[in-house]
Amino acid sequence: MENQRTESRRTAADGIRLGLRALVYAVLGGAALLAIATVASVLGPVLALDLYTPPVAAWWTVFTAITVQGVPFLLLGTLVSAAIGAFVPERVFQRLLPRRTVLAVPVAGAAGVVLPGCECASVPVAGSLMRRGVVPAAALAFLLSAPAINPVVLVATSIAFPGQPEMVLGRLLASLGTAVVMGWLWARFGREEWLRLPKRSGGRAPGGGPRAFVSGLQHDFLHAGGFLVVGAAAAATFDIVVPRSLLEVFTGSAWLSVLLLALLAVVLCVCSEADAFVAASLSGFSPTARLAFMVVGPMVDLKLIALQTGTFGRVFAVRFSAATWVVAVTSSVLVGWWLL
Amino acid sequence: MRRYGPAALLALVGTAILRVSLFSDLYLRYVQAGLRPYLVVSGAALVLLGVAVAVVTNRADEEPGDGDDEGHAGHGDGDDEGHAGHGDGDDEGHAGHGHGPGGPRVAWFLTFPALALLLFPPPALGSYSAEREAAQRAARGVGTFAALPSGNPVDLTLGEFGSRAVYDSGRSLQGRTVRLTGFVTRGGGGTWYVTRLLVSCCAADATTAKAEVRGAQAPPVDTWVTVTGTWHPEGGLGADAAWPPVVDARTVRQVPQPDSPYEKR
Repeated sequence: MENQRTESRRTAADGIRLGLRALVYAVLGGAALLAIATVASVLGPVLALDLYTPPVAAWWTVFTAITVQGVPFLLLGTLVSAAIGAFVPERVFQRLLPRRTVLAVPVAGAAGVVLPGCECASVPVAGSLMRRGVVPAAALAFLLSAPAINPVVLVATSIAFPGQPEMVLGRLLASLGTAVVMGWLWARFGREEWLRLPKRSGGRAPGGGPRAFVSGLQHDFLHAGGFLVVGAAAAATFDIVVPRSLLEVFTGSAWLSVLLLALLAVVLCVCSEADAFVAASLSGFSPTARLAFMVVGPMVDLKLIALQTGTFGRVFAVRFSAATWVVAVTSSVLVGWWLL
Repeated sequence: MRRYGPAALLALVGTAILRVSLFSDLYLRYVQAGLRPYLVVSGAALVLLGVAVAVVTNRADEEPGDGDDEGHAGHGDGDDEGHAGHGDGDDEGHAGHGHGPGGPRVAWFLTFPALALLLFPPPALGSYSAEREAAQRAARGVGTFAALPSGNPVDLTLGEFGSRAVYDSGRSLQGRTVRLTGFVTRGGGGTWYVTRLLVSCCAADATTAKAEVRGAQAPPVDTWVTVTGTWHPEGGLGADAAWPPVVDARTVRQVPQPDSPYEKR
């Protein structure tokens, strides 16, 4: 009896204390919010006008543009990847892909045709494929080929280069070649410890279900989205800092121009559905250099490096991107020399 | 409270996307028109996902007996990312690994573009970007073009005007009055151009199309104008000297910036 009474008194006191604390927080927080809002609404426009010089405004526009443009594709990619993680059992992939890695790599590379989207979508999908037991080499071949050889991109390329079907064919061959070679290189030289895969499926109830789907989607999107923003900021900075007229200095030498456009593809981060139009407008450069721009762009760029760092770890992203860049340039030079 | 961070973040990004795509035409400053349905769908999906995540988090909080599940489904990653982070000394302390119950820390970068879109939507690219980029003409073969639409004057995009001026062996612009809309940029020696940026996917791939205007005073840079006039042939077919094309202005009228500031390539 006595005990109970003390107990109830204590709960009442706790309740009052909690209520008081909430009230204090609400008043203080509300006042602070009001103050911030007032100051921001008065000073904001003034400050914004002062800081909004044309380069800064252009930076913000390019930065938001890359982010806005990437969000639907990133969401598509994370949807597919979360669906794979939650609903597709491992044995499906074991049945679909050849058992031997040497054969699985080209099959996975060619399967890149089915994911229509730009490169933001393919990184999370490749991550979830690996978690579902697909050999990394095959998943990486898919990662590289999907944004480069899907029908949307090939159609865009043929529109950008009217009357030059060899450009479309060259892009298809060089991109697929790079993806397959990189898959094989990984199978031969790659080390598991470079690859930091979030082993999320392991701890989860087998089968997953809607709850795993929602939390997988939430995590993947936020994680990749954060890195997309980092990549977009880097790309916008280069877009503002590097004047494109500088390029015309280098149009003279065939070798230099290939390397230069391959570097430009890395820093500009134009999405793979649009890069053909940009390549077409770089009219001073040789067809091979423009091919290199289109082959490197969907496979290695700042935004992708950031996304890969987020999904697979920095150790992996640095090595893999560097190797891919070299292979992509080589393969476009070979294909360009043969076809163009 | 931090547990609801991911839910709030998803809803914020979704709201920002919906604000520029569904409730206004602001998205046209950043991406091309065809992306609108995808933006609306993904904005709505993100808001819904935010709600779903909040519900899952809330339910996980209310099921104390279900503690194990909470760690995995509710919010996440404390446990799993822990594994991932440890094996890899080099990567430790990287921004992306700071997973508490608040979700991946790097995700908070998403608030920058989201708040920018909600509070101060960045303006469309203008003369600054156009002047930095040497105007590129899409190289294409000389050939005949489809007949110009009827109408006097005929409304043409600057991209179309440029292609026809430089590459049309049928000379379809000859003797027609055209109307071009764009913003003003300056060239050397008192020349000025009516200019438009061409975008095929997003503003990051913008390229420039322009026409030199003769016979009219230059308005201030970045004013939007509609120029009515006739084509002034210059240089040979497909030659470098034919670029940029020239228009002899009859009237130059100031207009408000169109909803769609870029031309589709």
